[in-house]
Amino acid sequence: MRRLVRSSLLVIVALGTLIAPIAAAHAQDKTVEIPLTASNQAFDPAELKVKAGQAFVLVVTNNDPKKAVEVENKDLRIEKVVPAGKTVKIRVRALKPGTYIFVDDFNPSAKVKIVAE
Amino acid sequence: MGATFVVVLREGFEAALLLGIVYAYLTQIGHAESRRYVTIGGALAVVASIVMGVAVSALSGPLADIGPDVIALVVIFGAVALLTWHGWWMGRHAREMRGDLQRRVDEAHASQQLWMVGLIAFTGVFREGAETVLFLWGLMTQLEDVSGWTALAGGAAGLIGAAVLGWLVFQGGRRLSVQRFFAVTSVLILFVAAGLFSSGIGRLQSMGLLPGGEPLWDTSWLLDDHGSIGGFLAGLVGYRARPSALEIIGYILYLAGATALVLPGLFGRRAPRNGNNVVEPATPSHV
Repeated sequence: MRRLVRSSLLVIVALGTLIAPIAAAHAQDKTVEIPLTASNQAFDPAELKVKAGQAFVLVVTNNDPKKAVEVENKDLRIEKVVPAGKTVKIRVRALKPGTYIFVDDFNPSAKVKIVAE
Repeated sequence: MGATFVVVLREGFEAALLLGIVYAYLTQIGHAESRRYVTIGGALAVVASIVMGVAVSALSGPLADIGPDVIALVVIFGAVALLTWHGWWMGRHAREMRGDLQRRVDEAHASQQLWMVGLIAFTGVFREGAETVLFLWGLMTQLEDVSGWTALAGGAAGLIGAAVLGWLVFQGGRRLSVQRFFAVTSVLILFVAAGLFSSGIGRLQSMGLLPGGEPLWDTSWLLDDHGSIGGFLAGLVGYRARPSALEIIGYILYLAGATALVLPGLFGRRAPRNGNNVVEPATPSHV
């Protein structure tokens, strides 16, 4: 029993140390927010321009009333579900100049091209 | 239909593989009755996935933004810890078994650890579980037309396909000799864990909690991790066509450390074969 209490405490502390910096990073987020809409199996706009070397936040709104969307870019290790009718913020780290394709992993024909320059 | 089949098969494959190994493992050590721990762990993970899927759909704001990331990190690093421990434990038992092939693992010694096997099953299923729930849920809400039904059929076929793969692993694992099975799964699990560990590092980088993130090299011309073989290897051993420096370092360090921990038991010295057939006493475990 005592071991159980101790291990749950450990888990809580570990979770806290994990959440705190992430929450702090989110709270003082003054980074640019870029809106993106998903509906009808496509992203709107289909192409976005961002500043290279500067982190930004992708604010993805899923307008589909039923289908969830999973915004994914494997190279950037981004994989985030946006449930139907929801808006989710996705932090994207500073990018080198170039073109980055994000897909909807649940519907690979939906793509958005992000150009960092 | 084909697309939904692939999505569900891919999400379900890792879970099926882990379950197949763990089921075969329990059979191999003569604890077939303890497979219920695994079944319970897997079933609880399905429930947790549904709860998580509902929560993600219901919540909004910062909790919905970072909550799934935090849970994903906890599950990834939790799974790495469990798999490492599991590999270490299996390696130790392989050594004991070489002393007396027919001898079954000491009952009390083993049962003390078996709830951990259930936990491994839980993390394996839960890892991609919530996403799969959300995806299948989306399919189920579109049943009013024919394409909705074929999409759902594809999703169901994907689940079945993943289950069949897990079952094949289970059947294959059962037929291998005990030592070979232990050697193969111990090494495989180390690579799975190394892949998970480096993917956790990659996630921390993408969230800005670790520096860097630029790819160090690009082998997508040789094997693309978006393709079927590359994607399979990505899920299994963490293959990345464009890995970051930290991910590579993490992968190598993990593999080196875990190998030092596990392999001496697997391929190290033989247990002494005494004339009076005394078996080495198992060292007490502290878990």
